[in-house]
Amino acid sequence: MSHLDRKLLRDLRGLKSQALAVALVMACGLAMMITTRSLMLSLESTRDAYYEQHRFAEVFARLKRAPLAVRDQLAAIPGVAAVQTGISMQVTLDVPGLAEPAVGLLNSLPERGEPVLNRPYVRTGRLPEGRTAVSELAVSEAFADVHGLKPGATLAAILNGTKQTFRLSGIVLSPEFVFEAPPGSALPDNRTYGVFWMPYRELATAFQLYGAFNSVSISLAPGASEGEVVAAVNRVLAPYGGRGAYGRENHPSNRRVDDEIRVLQGLSVAFPLVFLSVAAFMTNAVMSRQIALQREQIAMLKACGFSNRQVGFHYFKFSLVIVVAGVVFGIAAGVFLGRQLVDMYHLFFRFPELGFILDTRVLVAAVIVSSLAAFVGVAGAVRRAVRLPPAEAMRPEAPASFRPALVERLGGARWFSPSFRMALRNIERRPIRSGLTCLALALATGILIVPNSFRDGVAYVIDFQWDIVQRQTVTLTLVEPGPARALSDFKHLPGVVHAEPFRYVPVEFRSGPVLRRLAVQGLPERGTLSRVIDASTVQIPLPARGIVMSAKLAEILQIRPGDEVAVRVLEGREREVRVPVAALAEDFAGMAAYMELGALNRLLLDGDRISGAHVVVAKGRWPEFLDAVKNTPRIAGCVIKDAIREGFRKTTAESIGLLQKMYAMFATIVAFGIIYNSARISLSERARELATLRVLGFSRREVGAVLIGELVVLTVAALPLGLVLGSGFAKGILAGVNTETVRLPLVLTPANYAFAILVVATASALSALFASRKLAEINLVSALKALD
Amino acid sequence: MPDPLASPPAQPGPAVPARPPVFHVRGLARRYGEGEAAVTALAGVDLDLYAGELIVLLGASGSGKSTLLNQLGGLDSPSEGVLEYRGANLAAFDEAELTVFRRDAVGFVFQAYNLIPSLTARENVALITEICRAPMVPEEALALVGLADRMNHFPAQLSGGEQQRVAIARAIAKRPEVLLCDEPTGALDVRTGITVLEAIERINRELGTLAVIITHNAVMADMADRIFTLSDGRIVNVRANARRAAARELKW
Repeated sequence: MSHLDRKLLRDLRGLKSQALAVALVMACGLAMMITTRSLMLSLESTRDAYYEQHRFAEVFARLKRAPLAVRDQLAAIPGVAAVQTGISMQVTLDVPGLAEPAVGLLNSLPERGEPVLNRPYVRTGRLPEGRTAVSELAVSEAFADVHGLKPGATLAAILNGTKQTFRLSGIVLSPEFVFEAPPGSALPDNRTYGVFWMPYRELATAFQLYGAFNSVSISLAPGASEGEVVAAVNRVLAPYGGRGAYGRENHPSNRRVDDEIRVLQGLSVAFPLVFLSVAAFMTNAVMSRQIALQREQIAMLKACGFSNRQVGFHYFKFSLVIVVAGVVFGIAAGVFLGRQLVDMYHLFFRFPELGFILDTRVLVAAVIVSSLAAFVGVAGAVRRAVRLPPAEAMRPEAPASFRPALVERLGGARWFSPSFRMALRNIERRPIRSGLTCLALALATGILIVPNSFRDGVAYVIDFQWDIVQRQTVTLTLVEPGPARALSDFKHLPGVVHAEPFRYVPVEFRSGPVLRRLAVQGLPERGTLSRVIDASTVQIPLPARGIVMSAKLAEILQIRPGDEVAVRVLEGREREVRVPVAALAEDFAGMAAYMELGALNRLLLDGDRISGAHVVVAKGRWPEFLDAVKNTPRIAGCVIKDAIREGFRKTTAESIGLLQKMYAMFATIVAFGIIYNSARISLSERARELATLRVLGFSRREVGAVLIGELVVLTVAALPLGLVLGSGFAKGILAGVNTETVRLPLVLTPANYAFAILVVATASALSALFASRKLAEINLVSALKALD
Repeated sequence: MPDPLASPPAQPGPAVPARPPVFHVRGLARRYGEGEAAVTALAGVDLDLYAGELIVLLGASGSGKSTLLNQLGGLDSPSEGVLEYRGANLAAFDEAELTVFRRDAVGFVFQAYNLIPSLTARENVALITEICRAPMVPEEALALVGLADRMNHFPAQLSGGEQQRVAIARAIAKRPEVLLCDEPTGALDVRTGITVLEAIERINRELGTLAVIITHNAVMADMADRIFTLSDGRIVNVRANARRAAARELKW
């Protein structure tokens, strides 16, 4: 080790707490970057491998019914590589231990051999076999987990009006259902919605579909155009009640995974970048101070024949050591957190195996980015140091020129004590330094705002979605849309206090090249249960003509209220109509479109029909109500609002909560780091001056007041700026996680602001306490003698 | 008799016959700043310095002695004039060449010692010997200044005189051709000052190093071969001692 390096190590020992503070801030940024990027990689590569191995299809279509021979027509479409036809039916389930009926999506398995596409992965047990004494079903893992179902358990399902008992043969996963949510819902509901597989013959026979299919999956030949295949499939299936084919990007499960990756992407850039910039700034502050202190040493080194390059590199090495420490901590923390967080994804996503994969490319990028940040931080200070001619540097720095501070010049002098005046003059003498410190404090405040705005956003969504928008207890769905008078049947169920009908129609929205498939909900004009709400939480009365849609949907379709949108109805008599957009609704989970029930029915041309009803049930009669629902074969589904809310709380809210806690921890570390560092530097710069004051007879308290006064002034100035900055960060980052499936509103609460202020104030107070302790340690005589 | 104000002595120091000078300086000027604010630190200095000489530069503060020393040591470049080191035009050296010149040829001793506080005496010397061509071992250099037994002390554990002797050891360990000392005893008491001067004297005698000492203490002139007095950026007087006094004979 060269003696210059020995000097480096010994100097660093003196700087250890400051170097550690910088390294920790850097580590926080890196950890976040590594965690999010590695999670992205884990999700992406796991998804890709799963899709590949289990042959996830690329084009999907549902239809009413087509004879199996149509399969050959589909296979003959140019660009089609493989076709898997089957039956997919929604049924009502009676699950042991579950009071309300659940909905099961039954999928057929080919009679012979494995499916060509969308092959299930068997977790435990086996796939169901036909011709067994008791019919068998395989169940999706998400549903089995919630209900504690094991192979061998039994459950009942109503198939085409007949209640049948099944035995579970095994628990399986499928690339089609990585994310398992009821159709049209952005939120999982593993309690009342599950996916099942059973042999084709049994399923087809039960629904009188033997020899036919109602769902098809297609994989594409290399180089085939998805658009052309989709169009051809639509042409082939049109006579058979085809409901419009779509590609992977419109596949609900696939899109949810993509959205999650997009969220991670949003988080992996902006926030870490803020942290790394802060670290660069701190490196600069520490190194500028260090170089100022070593002015004479630099001059001596140069006089004795060290080149500018050698001297410059020596000081770069300081930051290099900090970078190395930051990178080591950052990687360790990033890997640790990544491993914890990857488990969280089991809440939403079902892969055969989802392990944590460290993204080594981002590791390299992280090292480069943080080295650059540190080098940029230190470059200016080093350049100044080596540019100084040795003869010049040998002399102590010229005393700073002071003048009365602005407030004093404006006549405010008499309001302030001498020590406070000194603090003000100090701030004003070095406006750039003071400005940067103030900015750093503001950043510390700002980054504290972001994670808590996540938390508050989630809380708001929970309230908004299930208190303001949805006020029903239960949503009941009919097996098939029925006549409007079915509403009175709902009203007569035991315990029902109030019921409002709804119609639910799958449609395809088109605007230029943009295409989205979802459902239009027909609701009463001024419904009191499921309500349509605008951005200012006021109910939108549904107009007699026109459609109301999620603001996000309008954004994607690039349309505004007053524009017309093309809507293709995918049920009953298929047709395309143009409907004016009447207003935009505020919602946070998924996207939706609403019409007045009568207006929707007029559009559909099939009379007054309803798909189900939102109902309010009297509390005391709940068991009676559920019992009745279970025994009404016409009722296919029963969604309990509180169960959905609870599901959201346990999955989305919990995962965001985990991220929020992680970020809040990081932000707190950074806030403390910045403030502590500022206090240290300020103390070092002023040691001599403060010692002089002590010698002149000022008490330690009075001298401390100068130092603390400066910190207080800067902190007070930084807080409002920090709150504004933080609100901006929160807005920017939330915009980054604003996807079609999940959105968080920007909610900034006084509690959030108060927390940020509290942390920064506490950090300032502790740093001030520390500084005044250090002040006591200053040896008056040597402080005056030595140049530092 | 030539006018000492106009030109340096025609003959070099008494001990040295006609041989090429280490430094050859003619009309050396150094101005700082521009226009009305310009300050002239050196206003035309002529001198030749020879190997083995011990030179004292006298003058009041602001007379230009430090500026001259910085020019000789390659810490600063002249505004005009001739500045040659062993026939090479120092004035034309770029930053990298000056660095090599300082590294190999010049030893500096500063009034404020300028030791690295985080390195021991031995390490302070070793820091420099690491980058030189044919240095002494640090222990040898420290022994020359009488600090063999204090090698492992940090600067803060040494007295001012000891620190300055470490600085001298650091300067001479590279076996420089030139030892440039800027007020080496300025911060020291008489007794300590003399031990420091003895160290410089010994290096000059035993290694044949050209030593240039800045001082405003006229007593030190007695130990020099030649004494240059500066005022307002010019050499106003040059004299030579017939006999050099030993450092320990000095009194002030």
